[in-house]
Amino acid sequence: MSLAPSIIRCNMANIHSFESLAALDGEGIRYAVFFTRCPLRCVYCHNPDTWHAGKIEMSAAELFDKIKRYKPYFKNGGGVTFSGGEPLLSSRFINETCRLLKTENIGYCIDTSGSVRLDDEVKTALLNADMVILDIKFHNEADYKKYTGGDFSLPAEIGKFCSDNGKRLMLRSVIIPGINDNESDIKGYADYVKNLGLRFEKYELLAFHTMGFFKYDELGIDNPLKDTPPLDKEKLNALQDLLNSRLNGEKYVSDRQTD
Amino acid sequence: MNDNGNAWRDFNRGVWCDDINVSNFIKMNYTAYNGDHSFLEGPTERTKKEADRVKELLIAENKKGGVLDVDTSRVITILSHGPGYVVDKDTDIIVGLQTDEPLKRGVSPFAGIRNSVQACNAYGYEMSDKIKDEFKYRTTHNTGVFRAYTETMKKARHAGILTGLPDAYARGRIIGDYRRIALYGMDFLIEQKKLDKERLAEKEYLDEETIHLLEDLAKQIEFMYQLKELALLYGYDISKPAVNAFEAIQWLYFGYLGAVKEQNGAANSIGRIAEFIDIYIERDLREGKLSESEAQELIDDLVIKLRLVRHLRTPEYNDLFAGDPVWVTIALAGVTGEGKHMVSKTSYRVLNTLYNLGSSAEPNITVLWSERLPEPFKRFCAKVSIDTDSIQYENDDLMRRLYGDDYAIACCVSAMKMGKQMQFFGARCNLAKVLLMALNGGKDEIAGDQIAPEGMTFDEEILDFTQVYNEYKKYLKWMARLYVNTMNIIHYMHDKYAYERLMMSLHDTDVERLMAFGVSGFSVAVDSLSAIKYAKVKPIKDERGIITDFEIKGDFPKYGNDDDRADLIGKNLIEYFYRELCKTPAYRGAKHTLSILTITSNVMYGRKTGSTPDGRKAGEPFAPGANPMHGRDSQGALASLNSVAKLNYACCRDGISNTFSITPDALGSDEENRISNLVTMLDGYFVQDAHHLNVNVLNREKLIAAMADPTLYPSLTIRVSGYAVNFNKLTRDKQEEVVARTFHHSM
Repeated sequence: MSLAPSIIRCNMANIHSFESLAALDGEGIRYAVFFTRCPLRCVYCHNPDTWHAGKIEMSAAELFDKIKRYKPYFKNGGGVTFSGGEPLLSSRFINETCRLLKTENIGYCIDTSGSVRLDDEVKTALLNADMVILDIKFHNEADYKKYTGGDFSLPAEIGKFCSDNGKRLMLRSVIIPGINDNESDIKGYADYVKNLGLRFEKYELLAFHTMGFFKYDELGIDNPLKDTPPLDKEKLNALQDLLNSRLNGEKYVSDRQTD
Repeated sequence: MNDNGNAWRDFNRGVWCDDINVSNFIKMNYTAYNGDHSFLEGPTERTKKEADRVKELLIAENKKGGVLDVDTSRVITILSHGPGYVVDKDTDIIVGLQTDEPLKRGVSPFAGIRNSVQACNAYGYEMSDKIKDEFKYRTTHNTGVFRAYTETMKKARHAGILTGLPDAYARGRIIGDYRRIALYGMDFLIEQKKLDKERLAEKEYLDEETIHLLEDLAKQIEFMYQLKELALLYGYDISKPAVNAFEAIQWLYFGYLGAVKEQNGAANSIGRIAEFIDIYIERDLREGKLSESEAQELIDDLVIKLRLVRHLRTPEYNDLFAGDPVWVTIALAGVTGEGKHMVSKTSYRVLNTLYNLGSSAEPNITVLWSERLPEPFKRFCAKVSIDTDSIQYENDDLMRRLYGDDYAIACCVSAMKMGKQMQFFGARCNLAKVLLMALNGGKDEIAGDQIAPEGMTFDEEILDFTQVYNEYKKYLKWMARLYVNTMNIIHYMHDKYAYERLMMSLHDTDVERLMAFGVSGFSVAVDSLSAIKYAKVKPIKDERGIITDFEIKGDFPKYGNDDDRADLIGKNLIEYFYRELCKTPAYRGAKHTLSILTITSNVMYGRKTGSTPDGRKAGEPFAPGANPMHGRDSQGALASLNSVAKLNYACCRDGISNTFSITPDALGSDEENRISNLVTMLDGYFVQDAHHLNVNVLNREKLIAAMADPTLYPSLTIRVSGYAVNFNKLTRDKQEEVVARTFHHSM
């Protein structure tokens, strides 16, 4: 099967699930919509059940009706989070939904791996977002290719586009024992984002966990990291400190926008 | 009332000076506080000493199996026991215990002698012959009720369709307006009651209700005098109004103490007292007579006394109301009819007792939430919830429309105007079991007895929704009529044989009466109907021809996911049942009200109910209150809240209880985020006219660890259903049910 990134163009979106209370630090209460389909096949994926289309087909109007119900909880900067899967594969759908969300003054965040081509629909989806959370999978092409199967140049383009357009940007990387938990990796991540010249608000490391393992069993697919333990919390904190110190002193943080 | 110059010095005068009108007094005199919690003080050395003594007592009580001591020698009444102290006369500030020793329980057989004997026996005590002899010549409430019960009522009760009724224990849920004692003094209150009685006697024709009321008033006055004597035993004269904050709290507490000595009703709530007390504290602070630390000490000491209130209960009673609750419910904050918030520094001081004295199930702190409460107060409440799991929230913006701005909460979710309304408590009927009865032509699916009139049988392969729903409605109609009539008997007898003399003396004479009906098994009934409507449900009959199981093919929408297909079934069901209840007149002109609240009886009701069409197996617990069924609310916390918010409070004005558990991580990664998200969540829920929320912020693993080793978390408090319990006081099956509930967690 082809893993080539492409945007699925249709009026209906295929959605994996919803989570009505998804907290995101500093961003209030969020309603998360998980799209299906992803161009990547990360070895450490904890949502392999979103790789392929599922049962829920929905139009933008239907999704809007659902989201609207949560407006009372969107004070203090809350709103929708489009996640997945890869939400930008559904950019056209997101843009259609966005037009409706605007009538109710509801904003959204995009939680993306950035592994899609930067076409007009994707640009619009990014430009309309209150914030973009970009997952920096790996800091070099070899690892990126090896562990995700994707095109290393795409997330860089997405990140730069957001940064250049003054989008609020938050970066994330999942740290996996034995794969990218060395100090040299952390330096690599720091250099990578510096070299791209990204302006972002926060760069957060997340610990690899095994809570999604059961999904591999349920789906009957091979879990390449089945013997990998979760990342130790203390180690994560130490690496986060290291990352912060490597990024420190330089102004990479964009000015927080207010609407 | 010119002689109250000293007691009322510096107060703004108003109509409250001439007539009993505490609400007017509060509104004319309270000080709204907009600041944060930084002014609060920790416990004094004295408070620590007293709190340590309480801790020892609680450990001893726990070691003895839950009851420290029982005085079986005499019946407990207002004047049965002399003074008792927690530490001693000099150390206790607010004084008064139910008996002569802390945690020693009294025997109160007025609601039922058999029940009292069993309660004594359950804890290894024997009721004295003296009490037994005294009650040989006295009819108890329980005896009266069973004299009048019809065969059908007995059957419905036995089968578990209508249970937990206050027919063998005292009804409770009546809140005396104890503030009146502090503001007016007993002499004025007695004088007013005498005047009421005189006026009543002037009627041309003394009909039965008038004669009834005349006798009530005589009983009330007798006990008002007794209350004065109780205070004198402790060295205080409460004839006159309180002159300072200490007296205001002590006078008010004497009233409450007298009430819990006279009555052992199921819930003994203390009402909306904090903002009232605050007026006295503010005056003392202004006059330089009190420091903040001393003000907190007064509140701490009152709360210590409230935490020590006990009644003697049977194991069957504990099955309904687990964890030895008293429901010393104290309502805080809210907003006035003019739109001004009523948060005072004492609202904060009451919450602060959970830090100064440690978390605790009692008193049952209930925040009357409004969008208009000041932000710092909302945030402090959220912080207290996150830290202690000890408080609950009820929607003031909703209740104020029906109950004005001087109402309080009795028990868990029952609103009533202070001193102006009382309630005839009525437990609940089992909606899920009524559905099974409809499917079985009026037969009990477990015992096989014909309880309700015979109806149709369901012989088709797959149940037809319209047929089932029409049949269900017929049985709900039957149930409603039986329920009201059963309640009418119960409360007739309770008024006759176990009347709350002191509590009712602290109400207006022309009190408004509410009759509170309730339902259990709500989410099971809703999901069952949804399954029949949207999936294919095949009934399976046993050899008796009774449907005892179901095969469900296909998926169906479930209540708790903000899906109208299921949620509106629930909304319509409850509205239908309420309308049916209203068709049968209630005793003494009471207004019908309805609650969706189970307390902890959801486990017992589940045990008495066969398998249901939603896939729940026979004997499995129901979800508590109006909660979606465990684990079926799969779209996250807010979807679950939105479903419950759709239920119509106008039909359920005795409360819609929702208990909500969320893990700390799901709420936010640090305290700051958790607090602001919880505040936002509460605002978002209540603005949709939702009624109630119990909030627990904890991990399931903690509860599992506490089950394995209770000594790990000796004071682990958790909100269950309209009240909080010490987790270790729950029986195993109830602990398991709590652990099985939905915990909203992060992905």
